[in-house]
Amino acid sequence: MNEKKNFKSWIQSGKVNRKLCIFVFMLIPVTLLVVFTYIPFFKMIGFSFYDMKYIGDREFIGLQNYMEVFTRKDCFQALKLSLYYIVASFIQLALALYFASVLSFKVKGSGVFKGLMFFPYLVCGIAVGFIFKFFYTRGFVLDTVLQWCGFNLDQLPYWLKDTSINNISVAATSIWRYMGQGMVMFIGAIMSVDASLYEAGDIDGANSFQKFIYIILPNIKTIIVLNMILSITGSLSVFEPPYVITGGDFGTGTYFVIMNKLAHESQKVGLASAMAVVLLILIMIATLIQKGIEKYYFGVGDAEPLREIRKRKKRLELEARGGAR
Amino acid sequence: MKRMLAASLAAVMLTSLSACGQKKAVEKQEMDVTIDQIALGEDYTDIEADLKFLTHKTDVVDTTFKGYIEEFQKLYPKVNIEYEGITDYANDITTRLTTGDWGDICMVPTTVDKDELGNYFTKLGDKGTLAKSYEENMLNNFTYQDTVYGIPSMANVQGIIYNKAVFEKAGITELPKTPDEFLDDLQKIKDKTDVEAPLYTNFAAGWTMTAWDAYIDGGATGDPDFANTGLAKGKDPFADRGDETGPYAVYNTLYEAVKRGLTEEDPTTTDWEGSKGKLNNGEIGCMALGSWSVVQIQQAGEHADDIGYMTFPITVNGKQYASAGPDYNYGINCNSSKDNQIAAMCYIKWLVEKSGFAQGEGGLSVVIGDEYPEALKALDGIELVVNNPAEAGEENLFNDINNDSELGINVSGAVPTQIVEEAVSGSKTIEEMSAEWNEKWTAAQESNGVTH
Repeated sequence: MNEKKNFKSWIQSGKVNRKLCIFVFMLIPVTLLVVFTYIPFFKMIGFSFYDMKYIGDREFIGLQNYMEVFTRKDCFQALKLSLYYIVASFIQLALALYFASVLSFKVKGSGVFKGLMFFPYLVCGIAVGFIFKFFYTRGFVLDTVLQWCGFNLDQLPYWLKDTSINNISVAATSIWRYMGQGMVMFIGAIMSVDASLYEAGDIDGANSFQKFIYIILPNIKTIIVLNMILSITGSLSVFEPPYVITGGDFGTGTYFVIMNKLAHESQKVGLASAMAVVLLILIMIATLIQKGIEKYYFGVGDAEPLREIRKRKKRLELEARGGAR
Repeated sequence: MKRMLAASLAAVMLTSLSACGQKKAVEKQEMDVTIDQIALGEDYTDIEADLKFLTHKTDVVDTTFKGYIEEFQKLYPKVNIEYEGITDYANDITTRLTTGDWGDICMVPTTVDKDELGNYFTKLGDKGTLAKSYEENMLNNFTYQDTVYGIPSMANVQGIIYNKAVFEKAGITELPKTPDEFLDDLQKIKDKTDVEAPLYTNFAAGWTMTAWDAYIDGGATGDPDFANTGLAKGKDPFADRGDETGPYAVYNTLYEAVKRGLTEEDPTTTDWEGSKGKLNNGEIGCMALGSWSVVQIQQAGEHADDIGYMTFPITVNGKQYASAGPDYNYGINCNSSKDNQIAAMCYIKWLVEKSGFAQGEGGLSVVIGDEYPEALKALDGIELVVNNPAEAGEENLFNDINNDSELGINVSGAVPTQIVEEAVSGSKTIEEMSAEWNEKWTAAQESNGVTH
């Protein structure tokens, strides 16, 4: 009886209680994270050293899979397609920024516009694929609209068949889908800008464009850079649009589509895992480079850009030297 | 606090890891009963079991299959069967098989190598014994060392499905017998009728392209050993034979058809569901599909009588052949309880012999003595070629070479897909492509120990 009471009071004591709370609340998310992210991830790294199929014996072959990734023509060829998506993502960010800054001022029906532009993001990627498959079909939506504008059907290209244009067609779908998301993030950032800054701008007689350049842009710098990083890493690992719309045929197979083909159609699971690991490393490198550039030119958060610090140092040094003279 | 956090994290990781390590001991249940020993409706009629059946036929799970369960329960009242339809069957089933407790009956995927069959599926009987009631060659796909692990739900013939009315309108009185005649006929259809496409490739669907791979063995050579010997072990199997036979002739037919504009305008936006109705209505001349498609196309519109089925237009030494082969096979989980396995055997036997599934789907029944379905009567007189099994010890050879070469024959349709792409863009000729395939194939043969 006494013991029980002790236990009860022990467990109810503030210190233990708090730790218990943390533990219990952490338990579920951490378990989910470990079971569904980390274990499969480390397994995949393990797989990449084996010559294996889904079913059957595995043979340890060391780094051979990695060597194959770098010697195959199609793997890195496919990464070139990412350029299309990177360009698309910059267009998408520019549009998002434009709409965000317009809509965050008082505009009639801004709620409706925000809703309409955000809506595509809510549609599942597979559905977006199917929408655009029909959108681009000969004589369907896009061709019809262009014909209203006076184009002749014979002048129009086959949007998905013509290899000079089909990657642009597919990449355009991701602009449509993600523009709204970027816009909402930008609107959120713009909202958090101190209103007194605008007032000060008004007093100084700044017009809307000047307000955008000198007030909004510096204040949402961080979120723009974040969006850029997400877009570029996303561009390297595009999968849904080409997989659903063209199946990766006619030269639209991105790195992920090729990986999927190798794993599921040719049963080269080890090779595909190695490709995934290589891509992961590439993405990490790309992110690091971007972070570095950002730190150098723009500064992180409130910190000053390295370039400025260095310039100032040089100036001070010069001044000091000049002073000595 | 931080230390506490780290400790709890570590604890969680450890427990989840150890949970992973302690694999549920799935014991393989050795069976002493085989499917031929069961007399339907007489043996085991009071067996109790709840069976789970994984199937690719998502469209009939709630209709036809429900009827089957009711019929079956008249004989075996205490057996409950639950169907689970899987949309992306070919991909998902492989992953699920590796878990061991996926259910009791499934359609055996082609990804399981023959020497692995015994680790996943129950022995259904010896080949010699089963061959007394089922077509022997149809059992080859999932037989390893004379033990049968899968029984085909039905068998397919590989030919071309066409619209008789369209062919008539174009003035074609005799079915084509060679690739050249076929291409000429397609040209006639294009010139004399207003169809959307004389030959519809269904390129965008992807899986439909594998039909072209299915013609290259028995149908194009008349040789039942071609798949496992000529193709797997032969030198440069994709080279031009010069007599309009073999894989080259099949692939060249597709290449020329696309190049001459005898197929649909834009292959990237073809629509499989829509194409069924179009073929039925005479907006499409023909399509390359297995015989399973006949019933579906007939039901897709009002002109069921117009739908005909012909063999692929290749003549070998004056004779026409058609490749025939089993569709998906039924297999039983060897980790299920004994009662479940016996009940599953009863159900499979009933499905194959009594349900009428094969005929309903427009396929051939594998039971000896069953008749051709109505739609395939036109094939009467054409010799069906069923591939002979590979030699002992070489059961996996074709699969291995196929995977290593990444040509994906009968799996991904990579070859026909490439043909359409190149024929459209015109960047490679069929000779260049076939040289490329030969090169890849030879390299894969060498890495699997086949030398010439």
